[in-house]
Amino acid sequence: MIKSGSFYFSKSHEWIGRDSNNKYRIGISDFAQSELGDVVYVSLPEAGKAYKKDGKIGEIESVKSVSEIYAPVDLKIISVNSKLNDTPELINQDSNGAGFIAEVEISDDSGIEALMDENAYKTFIADSHHE
Amino acid sequence: MKTTLIIKNLCGGAIIITMDTDESKKTPLYDEHAKMGAKIVSFAGFYMPLYYKSIIEEHLNVRNNSGIFDISHMGEIIIKGRDASSFVDHVFTADVSKIGQGEIVYSLILNEKGGIIDDVTVFKFSEDEYMVVVNAANTQKDFAWINYIQTGFQKKGKDVSVQNISDAIGLLSVQGPKSRDLIYPLISDAVKIGKCGLFDFKFKPKNIKDLKHFEFGCAEFKDVNVEALISRSGYTGEFGFEIFIPAEKTAILWNYLLKNSHLSNLLPVGLGARDTLRFEAALPLYGHELDETINPYDAGLEKYLSDTKDFIGKEALKNIKNKEKRLIFFKLSGKQIPRHSQRILDENLKPIGCIASGTYSPSNKFPIGSAYISDSGVNASFLKNFFIDIRGNFEKAEVVSPPFHRHVKAGGSK
Repeated sequence: MIKSGSFYFSKSHEWIGRDSNNKYRIGISDFAQSELGDVVYVSLPEAGKAYKKDGKIGEIESVKSVSEIYAPVDLKIISVNSKLNDTPELINQDSNGAGFIAEVEISDDSGIEALMDENAYKTFIADSHHE
Repeated sequence: MKTTLIIKNLCGGAIIITMDTDESKKTPLYDEHAKMGAKIVSFAGFYMPLYYKSIIEEHLNVRNNSGIFDISHMGEIIIKGRDASSFVDHVFTADVSKIGQGEIVYSLILNEKGGIIDDVTVFKFSEDEYMVVVNAANTQKDFAWINYIQTGFQKKGKDVSVQNISDAIGLLSVQGPKSRDLIYPLISDAVKIGKCGLFDFKFKPKNIKDLKHFEFGCAEFKDVNVEALISRSGYTGEFGFEIFIPAEKTAILWNYLLKNSHLSNLLPVGLGARDTLRFEAALPLYGHELDETINPYDAGLEKYLSDTKDFIGKEALKNIKNKEKRLIFFKLSGKQIPRHSQRILDENLKPIGCIASGTYSPSNKFPIGSAYISDSGVNASFLKNFFIDIRGNFEKAEVVSPPFHRHVKAGGSK
């Protein structure tokens, strides 16, 4: 089982992690939010719905652009972060915490183990964006 | 090398894409933007800052305090000669030669069919000398067009010369209600005549503090010895200045003004907020509200057409009897942001138009947009009830009268 407080990342910049209550959460990475700029709207996934890895679960709009949010692993949405409806800027302020997208259920950790850990993700960003 | 693609979009307009197969150019401030950690994008062939920290914060700071923009990507073309006045009256739709020395006029450049080549501002130095400030994306096109017209003039024995000085000029814009608190204490009081940076004033301009909107003068930023042509103009709907300086002095002045940011709560502002600010003020953007398939009547810009002189495109405009389309402004009740070229649907979900500009309004905290709609699609019920097709979601919209940043008046009967 993955440790609580650690995050695993997809190549499309979503994370999955465990919170202190041992629940799984998903969100978008701090790098992704900084690339998007001011987030002004989030179309959230449906609670109760199951999504396959890389399936589109929602959309995130900033002033200048719109991006799709993908499931980092096979998962089922337990509940969504409805605070994002009125305060989408939580994603800019705290993408790994208060700006999470949803609480999810997964069948096992094998999907997560195939993702990048924080160090691998850092290297991935540095390699793909020479800025 | 530049490749230009023209794609007919769904709504009948053309999308013009200019691809730089070479590297984009850098303004004299590129290194400053990079040092400040700006998010850099390629726009109109230039690497430009999209935002430094936050589009919304930069936008609101211009509305409430002041902001400084690098707009050195914009083009400047000098038109000189004994026949310069009759030349500018021929090329531009507005009454350009009638303005006074030290005054500026907004104008369109039309092609022979009445389509909009560009929207520009023209500065008058004298009967023999004008400067045209053009959109960055159109600098090459405008210069080629103006040169082509000039060749015709010259063949008739007229004396006009045209020069593209864009690369030699740095251009900063200081905008916002507190801009004067930054500029006034830093400039010399004396009115300069004669040489002013790269310009030559053959008239006595007004003191900068006395300039009205769309007037310009010359002053020196004392501490850094930078002479600047300063105009009371901008693209935000706020009080502000545009400052023309030699390219090599741009970084010195930029850093000097930012060092004095406490005078006006100044923040650097990127192109993202430049776009949201201009759109709230309902100022058109070439490539969105304007292009060569759109005429001045479509765009609601007929007040910039002179009735007292001939200009290129005037003849074609006389034959435009029925308005094919018109520009409307709207707000959305939902939260999704409308984007350029999305479809407008009437209450029966019939497509009747296309979005010109769409964005989030930081001043109002709701999405806003402009669209060209086919004129037959316009009736009273439409104005109350229509939809934007945002990636398959039909979002309800309502017509409003801009500008969006003062008080938004509903155009329907809500």
